[in-house]
Amino acid sequence: MAVAAVFAIAACSEKLEGGKSCPLLCPEQAITLLDTIIDAAVSDTTVSGLPSIGNEGYLMLASHGDTVETRAIVRYDTLPQHYTKSGLDSTIVNIDSAYLITPIAKPDSLHRPKAPLTIEAYNIDTTATDTVASVLAPLFRPDRLIGSKTFAPESLLDTLRIPVSTDSVLDRVKNGTRLRVGLRIVSTQGVDLRIGSTALGLGVTLHIRASKDTAAAPVNVSPVSRTPTGQPFLSGPLADYTIVLNGTTLTGPNLLAVGGVPSRRSFIRFNVPAHIVDSTTVVRASLLLTQAPNRRLDLHDSVYVFPVAVLAGPAITDVGSLLQFVGAPGQFGLDSLRLAPADSGVVAFEIVGLVRTWRGQSTTISPRSVALRSAVEGQLPGEIDFFSTKAPASVRPRLRITYVPQINYGLP
Amino acid sequence: MRLVDRLRGAQIGRVWTALALCAIPAFGVRAQANLSSQGFGFPTGQFSARTYGTGGALAELDPLSPINPASISIIPTRLVTFQIEPEFRSVTTSNGTERTTTARYPNVFGALPVGHGWVMSLGASTLLDRTSTSVFSTTQFLSATDSVPMTTRFRVDGAMDDVRLAGGWAPLAWLRIGLGAHAITGHNLISITQSFTDSVRFAAFTQQRILGFSGGAVSGGIQLVSKTVTAGFSARSGGNLNLSAEDTLLTTAKVPNRFGASIAFTGIANSAISIRTSRDNWSSLGSLGTPGLHAIDAWDTSVGADLAGPRIGDRTLFLRGGYRMRTLPFQTETHTVTEQSFAGGLGSVFAAGHVLGDLAIIRSSRSAEGLSASEHAWTVSLGISVRP
Repeated sequence: MAVAAVFAIAACSEKLEGGKSCPLLCPEQAITLLDTIIDAAVSDTTVSGLPSIGNEGYLMLASHGDTVETRAIVRYDTLPQHYTKSGLDSTIVNIDSAYLITPIAKPDSLHRPKAPLTIEAYNIDTTATDTVASVLAPLFRPDRLIGSKTFAPESLLDTLRIPVSTDSVLDRVKNGTRLRVGLRIVSTQGVDLRIGSTALGLGVTLHIRASKDTAAAPVNVSPVSRTPTGQPFLSGPLADYTIVLNGTTLTGPNLLAVGGVPSRRSFIRFNVPAHIVDSTTVVRASLLLTQAPNRRLDLHDSVYVFPVAVLAGPAITDVGSLLQFVGAPGQFGLDSLRLAPADSGVVAFEIVGLVRTWRGQSTTISPRSVALRSAVEGQLPGEIDFFSTKAPASVRPRLRITYVPQINYGLP
Repeated sequence: MRLVDRLRGAQIGRVWTALALCAIPAFGVRAQANLSSQGFGFPTGQFSARTYGTGGALAELDPLSPINPASISIIPTRLVTFQIEPEFRSVTTSNGTERTTTARYPNVFGALPVGHGWVMSLGASTLLDRTSTSVFSTTQFLSATDSVPMTTRFRVDGAMDDVRLAGGWAPLAWLRIGLGAHAITGHNLISITQSFTDSVRFAAFTQQRILGFSGGAVSGGIQLVSKTVTAGFSARSGGNLNLSAEDTLLTTAKVPNRFGASIAFTGIANSAISIRTSRDNWSSLGSLGTPGLHAIDAWDTSVGADLAGPRIGDRTLFLRGGYRMRTLPFQTETHTVTEQSFAGGLGSVFAAGHVLGDLAIIRSSRSAEGLSASEHAWTVSLGISVRP
């Protein structure tokens, strides 16, 4: 009896399930899904200049002639006047060598330059407002050139060393003044290069060797900006940034744009019937957008476009501000699409993870909106365009929702 | 055979080990779609392990089975009883055979003599066990060009339970009578999980719902005792039964009426050879479900014996056997499900008469006429009764 008892009790924890006998013996059947496509987008717009200046993950260094020309600006507003040798500080009175240690994003096969490229460094220090293209452009002239180096395409791996004039650096070290460097890329063919920025902790480092003595430690200077004075919230990001000299475009009212030059994000606000959001279980929500081909630049360059949640509440009405308060790519399970500027046709962004957060929440707590951004915004010039709500009806944004209606389940 | 006789001396045995093991929590009770758990579930029978060992034939006479309230009048002392009853089931259809295990705890109650021949008891037993899990795959067509394969997992946990407060009285040596008040309670936790092969575009979801039962019934019974024959009769009259989800009343029905009778030959010392039949008016549950629910009235008939077997030390080992045939309450669509079972069992006392242990093993076969499906099950019923 005890053996049987143990046998019986051991069975307590056994778990088994099956369905081979379905549908013959299954009293329950699969729940039916309903599918609907609605013109849920009530307003949309595109805002240029996002991310804001200085907040680019990488600095875009591009040269496409008249189409796009950009420059990368790096500020060294504080230069050390001492170096260490054998544990003792010494004043810098001579500079043996100076380099810009420049991290780059290794170009993939699609972005690898077809010809050698030269990166030129210019002294662009000025008393004028040096975040304006019209002020900076004239400063990229031969008498301000302080260094350059040519690189073969296959040498673009992770870090580039660009020598700069030791006299120019020493002059600023001795006088205690700042050094502001502008980088320009030159090639016989159109070229894009992504330079590391302080926004991701990968800023261009000024490497100074003050003595030939190997016992002397080199001095590495990270980018830092002291202007605007007394406004660290503004001056901090300006340690390095991108300036567009040529190629700035505008987005027409019947388009929504992502990426491009200058970089832009798009915003779409929805009006989804409450009886779907609140009273059903949404299992699929696809934002259907019709892509408009952009044949301006990098036609077949792949760009990952992310739908992201807008985290700001309705108290913020300025769309430009709203688009700076967005969730991280991938948050809420929102996946990206890989698109090329020249593509066309309907694409579907799956946003079910976001739509489910709307359930039971008022629009003041959980706004029915989504933003679109590029994974390489401000870093590469590729631009993806979609038709907006102001375009003809057949190509406007739509929302396809698949849902489980409220059912009276469980009764046999 | 009298309970007091069966509680005679023995030493503490392995039963305490079994009791300790009973404390191990069960990690889940699941089953697949099957013949026996249609509708609101499987009627376990409300039998004790002892009664199960006789195929159910002693149900109207056994004080540990919450059937006939008159039977509790023979309980001589305070008593607590607990029962564990796993079922190992296989279901065969044209798609193959699936095996599963369902653990049940179908019967627990306590009894207390209050003097002057009166005994009171309070207990709970499973009336209908609906625990089951079905997993099946389908393809949903959303449009002419859009479809999605999906897997549905439909799980039900819970049962409709019968909580009985009963009083039994033995005014005469040959007469025992009893009354019971029943609260029909319990719930079904329904859980539907739907997952998709395409997990990028589609998000899985789970919906849960609790269906609660509330109802009442009264029962009465009588036992007539002679030297060689004992007969028992009982009946239950059902009141209203409500089915609710949270605070919303969904459906109403009547608790099924029942009547049953056992007659036993007790001319052999400490033994009983019995036959029993009962009729449950399950059709009264029809309005508790959807219009597709088919509940039918059913007979439950059995024959069996509980015989005093060999003595091991100063302990008598009771040997039991029986046969039972019945109709299950809920049809599979329009097919009536029937069950035949053979049972065998043992019983003895331990711990100087403080512990009574009963074990039954039941082999059941279930089928539905006109349906190419069959079900077979081994059920192990272990009952432990303790006199503090």
